Amino acid sequence: MTQTILVTGATGLIGGGVLQRMLEADADLTANVLVRDELRWKRDLHRWGALGSRITAVSGDVRVPGMGIESGTRSRIVDEVSTIVHAAANTRFSQALEEARLSNTVGTSNVLELASQCRALTRFAFVSTAFVSGRATGMVPERDNGAEAGWVNSYEQAKYEAECLVRSSGTSWVIFRPTTIVCRGADGVVTQVNGVHRALRIYHRGLAAMMPGARENMFDVITGDYVCDAIATLAFDEKAAGRTVHLCSGKCAPRVGDLLDTAYDVWEQDGEWKRRGLSRAILTDLATYAMFERAVIDTGDARLKSLISSLSHFVPQLALPKQFDTSAADELLAFAPPPVSEYWGRMLENLIATGWGVADEVAA
Amino acid sequence: MARSTTTGTTPNLPAIAGISYVFPEGSRTVRQMADDGLLQSSAETMESFGFARVHVAVAESPYELALSAARDLLAEKDIDPASIGLVIYGGTPGSMAFASATDAAEGAAGLCTSRRFMYPGARLQYDLGLSNAWMFAVDQLACTTLLAAARIARSLCITEGIERALCVSSEFFPAKAGREAIFNCTSDAACAVLIERTGARNQLRSATTVTKGYYWDVDGLRDEIVASYFPTARHVLHQTIADAGWSLDDVDWIIPHNVSMRSWEILAGLAQLPRARLWTDNIARHGHTLAGDNFINYRDALESGEIEPGQRVLLFSYGFGAHWTGVAVEA
Repeated sequence: MTQTILVTGATGLIGGGVLQRMLEADADLTANVLVRDELRWKRDLHRWGALGSRITAVSGDVRVPGMGIESGTRSRIVDEVSTIVHAAANTRFSQALEEARLSNTVGTSNVLELASQCRALTRFAFVSTAFVSGRATGMVPERDNGAEAGWVNSYEQAKYEAECLVRSSGTSWVIFRPTTIVCRGADGVVTQVNGVHRALRIYHRGLAAMMPGARENMFDVITGDYVCDAIATLAFDEKAAGRTVHLCSGKCAPRVGDLLDTAYDVWEQDGEWKRRGLSRAILTDLATYAMFERAVIDTGDARLKSLISSLSHFVPQLALPKQFDTSAADELLAFAPPPVSEYWGRMLENLIATGWGVADEVAA
Repeated sequence: MARSTTTGTTPNLPAIAGISYVFPEGSRTVRQMADDGLLQSSAETMESFGFARVHVAVAESPYELALSAARDLLAEKDIDPASIGLVIYGGTPGSMAFASATDAAEGAAGLCTSRRFMYPGARLQYDLGLSNAWMFAVDQLACTTLLAAARIARSLCITEGIERALCVSSEFFPAKAGREAIFNCTSDAACAVLIERTGARNQLRSATTVTKGYYWDVDGLRDEIVASYFPTARHVLHQTIADAGWSLDDVDWIIPHNVSMRSWEILAGLAQLPRARLWTDNIARHGHTLAGDNFINYRDALESGEIEPGQRVLLFSYGFGAHWTGVAVEA
């Protein structure tokens, strides 16, 4: 039977990757993709090749009531769509809470409202984040982790609040929680620059040389390929209904100290960089790091203040030791995440090779 | 990065036999300096960093203060000038050393003439009657100058058998540079330190210096310098402690250079040295006297009775340009 899906965030790393895999896996599948800029979508449609003929662009925006979808189109979606993959998000860590909520919480509410009207809907697949657990430490289970621990940034909080909406929606939901995606796959190619890459660049430039945390703390990272493969597989899996699935390295996550050592080892291969004698970043407790942050903010040096401020929305996670339980993924998936040691070094080399941007083949 | 370390190997180590210092007559509060436009940061920020007052030379020249500090030291310790085998001068160079603060520009212009060779170190040797001393100067070490001079004196006492060395610094903050250097309020001062070949008290146990030439461009790499300061300082502190044969727990006192309290609190946290062991009384009283801080503070801490004989003391300073130096002293 022909399936029709709706994907939000299809222009993004995860939404696009999942859509591609779903279309490739099922030649009868057709897709509606919600896009804010229909002209841009049409301009870039060639990237999809033959798959593009099975994709229909729907102009809209998750942030506005009714998602801004024209009524005739909305009626068609309500009649046809059997699966929704909601991957649209604003992942900027430094945004104000209200801004984060508009895209991530209100946006999810609007998609759920549409989902509630879809007559043939069998699954609502929500792409969340492993960091909804916020400041929690220790083993993070695959369930509602509560709000008690608080969050490091507004993105984490808004995503947590969105998860709560999904859980109480009455749909047949599945929540996917990817950890930080650092590259496409084992090739280490960076297709989307995020907070981790920006932080690494600051340390590479010698503009910061300390971070909170301990060398032995785990820092979970993952590849985009693994996340997209997992979502494309489990979104249709009946056994995944009502499950929260961490898409993480879990017990195989590397230690912060090892990741840092590898980074400096890679950077030191550049003789000119090594000649500067930049200090390797040292790890310290949150209180000492907070004193440093405060000193920089008080002194008002605009560039340094901006850089340290950008780190403050991310690096405190390094000082919150945690391990993401991956029991659900281990049970439901026939494949495992790739070892981080396979791609972390390559990812660092690619960042240098591309001038801290994305790979040419993707940016073109 | 270039790193060098000196480690004591004999029980009769060179030691600090005396310290003397002189401030100019004038002084300014942080608020007065802010009102006069001499600070880049606000007065409130500087006060929150622990600064209250600094010494500002007006009529005095760097040489006058250097001579006064050295003369006081010899008199106080009743030292025969002829027993001094070495003078190491660090601070304001050539003709600039003889110009009063108000005539600093004229003194600086003299460096482009034959007055460049009017060396304050040589004149010190003559004016103090140090007839058996040879003299040289150390330069480009900024606030680590006097620690470096003491370290060199220590080495020469061991290797060349020099019995007594006089280290003198006299540094005025550049006349047109305001009174703030990377969030620190600067003072003018001179300090003299007497090093003897052996001594039971105040033994110089070890010294570590790291130079990172990449940071020579102090204005262009200001943010990078702030970032690099802490990890490099931590490394130097730990290396100095290790070279002295101590552990972190052995350190009884840390005698700082008088930079902001906030930065010392951060560094103490990073280096896992208790904040309570930092001797910070002089930050508010004197501000940052460039090269003199550590020895001025060491003398004051000894006189206050807070440092007791046999206690293990760590002196640390950072010099713009860029050097990190630690010295371990057994009181």
